[in-house]
Amino acid sequence: MTDPPELTFDDLTGEAAVLRVYRQVFAVLAREAGAMILDLTTIDVDDSILEAFAEAGSQGLTAEQAVAECRRWDGPVVRRRFDVLREYGAISRINDRPNERYHRAAFAPYVMLLFLRRMAEQGGQSELHQLLTLEHLNVKSANATAADGAASVRRLTKVFRLLGNELIILAMGSTAETLGNNAQLLWGNESLIDQAKGVHAVVLGRWTELDRDCAALRVALAAYADAIDAAAGRLIAQAGTTRALGLLPVEAWVTFGRDSSPEVLAAVLDRFVFDAPAPWFSPHTLIEAVEAGRQISTTRLPPPRSDDVEPEPEAEAGVADDVEELRIIAERLLADSESVGVVDVLDDAGDWLSARRVLAEVTAIHHHPDLDYELVWGDGVRVEVAASPSWTSHGRFQRGHRANGDAG
Amino acid sequence: MTEAETALWWARVRATGPQRVAPSSAFPAGMLRLVEPDVAAVWLLAAVPETARPSVAEELGLPVLAVEHPNDTARVLAACLRCCWADPTGPLWPGKPASKDEVATVLGAIINRTEAASNIALLGAIRRLAGAAWLLWDEPAQMVRLGPRVAVWGSADLSALRELWRMVSSSADIGRADVEGPR
Repeated sequence: MTDPPELTFDDLTGEAAVLRVYRQVFAVLAREAGAMILDLTTIDVDDSILEAFAEAGSQGLTAEQAVAECRRWDGPVVRRRFDVLREYGAISRINDRPNERYHRAAFAPYVMLLFLRRMAEQGGQSELHQLLTLEHLNVKSANATAADGAASVRRLTKVFRLLGNELIILAMGSTAETLGNNAQLLWGNESLIDQAKGVHAVVLGRWTELDRDCAALRVALAAYADAIDAAAGRLIAQAGTTRALGLLPVEAWVTFGRDSSPEVLAAVLDRFVFDAPAPWFSPHTLIEAVEAGRQISTTRLPPPRSDDVEPEPEAEAGVADDVEELRIIAERLLADSESVGVVDVLDDAGDWLSARRVLAEVTAIHHHPDLDYELVWGDGVRVEVAASPSWTSHGRFQRGHRANGDAG
Repeated sequence: MTEAETALWWARVRATGPQRVAPSSAFPAGMLRLVEPDVAAVWLLAAVPETARPSVAEELGLPVLAVEHPNDTARVLAACLRCCWADPTGPLWPGKPASKDEVATVLGAIINRTEAASNIALLGAIRRLAGAAWLLWDEPAQMVRLGPRVAVWGSADLSALRELWRMVSSSADIGRADVEGPR
């Protein structure tokens, strides 16, 4: 009995006390003796049983009374939970004798339940904050010793190592959805690290001999910060361009889109105004489109024709000579006289449009190499404000004098 | 008109396009008022500076809103512009109404395509343009008018559009060419 350190009676009672509280605390997590619970209802049943004991007062409850108090749940279920709790010592007989029917409950299981519920709701962040505050107070208190400081730093190192490891494993190995579901590990990390650094600074300042423990804490904090960065990077990459939608997994949005009514979907956009989808046409676009259309039409190939039918030759593709037409026009204008005034010719034509045509014909006759008529312009202008054209140059259209061969 | 009402009008115009209101109704700040030719109604249109038009997106190389058959649609708009812009020296709005056949004739001179396909494309393009208020389309009467959105084109745009107007031959020209054609 020398090899293991000999246990005194005090040590044994101390261990027994720890073990008793430990068993009581974990009673609420036990399904049977030795197994973890798997569903939430059993925790609720435990809650009800402990509540019944809280209201029962000083004389305690019998098992039957407890079952009756927990009418919300099935009797057999409550009875089974009652037995489990008794087995773990969370509920015990008031007097330890065989036929005692009244029981009392320990407070530790209920405190454990409260912690469990708070951890479930808030991810344990506030508990961590409270723990850090407590540690800070502990190491600052006047009668704290180096051993206290070391223990405190080691506890914190352990906490942050666990946190960081869990997070880094999730960030490295698991799917982004799992990571998103465990994102509460990420929350409030800055203030957590700051608080831990505060404890670290106090410890290092008071007990410089603890530098090794403090270094371990620093490493743990740095590892936690790295894990946060990795996890946050992973989540942001997964959220992609739609990060404004939060860190919900993609499937949640798909399900929302599939299951929602049009009204619900529209309500999401209630506070936004969108521009009407009106296409814009710049004049440049219009011109380009029109020109492109023309190009298409000009580059169209003629349909294939058979070779044996010769197309008719183009009828006199050369100079279209209208000498006869022009001569007739000239004779009509001159009407057997030697010359005629341009003003008169234009007046005879009537409106400006036909007068312009006549003018063009007269000019063409004048320039035609084969026709012996000429147009001689004189000085002066006839002005008539009301008429159209309102002014006309004087000039004469006459038979030519180049019959002698000076045509050119 | 309070600021809130003005903001509401702007939101309305931006969200649903130009608004047709009674001529006696309010006049939100910063809006163009386009009076219908018969003064029965007024179109409200957001007047934004030149540097905030949709054309800026194009200059910046941003993706612009895609239209179905963008080229066909642009050609139809050009044809309607040729038919409805009575006086190219003046403003575009209100313009004169033109029948769909006129537009089809002008469009036919722009593109060479079979009558039926062109007709389908024309109707689709007219409806698209009418949806965006570039045109006003009277379906039962088969008449087209320029929509209020044409008033957004600025003076620099107008000179380019006059160029376009001259480039495209009118339906009357085409008709005359057809008559004189087989001479």
